[in-house]
Amino acid sequence: MTYANGVGRRGATAAILVVGGGALAAATWIGGDHVLAMILVAFYALAAGVAFLWAGRDTDVGAIMRVAGDERQRRLDRDATALAGLAMGLSAIIGAIVSAARNHGDIGGYGVICFVGGLTYGVSLFVLKRRT
Amino acid sequence: MHHLRDPSRPACQAPLTAALLVKHACQVRNRVSELRTASAMSQGELAKLLGVSRQTINSIENGRYLPSLPLALAIARNFEQAVEAIFISDEEEGS
Repeated sequence: MTYANGVGRRGATAAILVVGGGALAAATWIGGDHVLAMILVAFYALAAGVAFLWAGRDTDVGAIMRVAGDERQRRLDRDATALAGLAMGLSAIIGAIVSAARNHGDIGGYGVICFVGGLTYGVSLFVLKRRT
Repeated sequence: MHHLRDPSRPACQAPLTAALLVKHACQVRNRVSELRTASAMSQGELAKLLGVSRQTINSIENGRYLPSLPLALAIARNFEQAVEAIFISDEEEGS
């Protein structure tokens, strides 16, 4: 059944933190800031440990972290993701406006974020509406 | 037909992002708690039978979450009742 609540992968969120944090720490190390790189390694190792422990709990957040929620928990995750996307999009738009005002119309990296966000939304809408 | 939502009752289950922009009026109460208690079952036992979490059963019973049609059908099948005998809309009840 589509709403089944599985056991999931307890290490899923921890793995994302280890890979993402490790990549960030490696880039910082290559960039020359070895102290900050070590701090990042320690921070993400601790965060991954906490995530692994938290994912083992019988709670809504635990199930979402295991990528194993039932229909309600998946909807919680989807709503939270949508709100996070809205916040990121809004931040990118504000950043682009501020950047344009400061840098003679150059919106810099914010432009890429706005473009990717807008394109993803448009394509997703087109694909998803064909499915339902 | 649109009704203004009674703020003392749980909001309907439209997606959160839509709920920020649109006023929804759907109100559905249910008899899950009553039927579960009559069957001498715990929330955890019912959750296990239906393949959902205990928290989801709790949310359904408290009217915070309106289950999907497949889950509502599974609940009805579990209690050997019709879906509309378990999930009752306010409009239906008022008429």
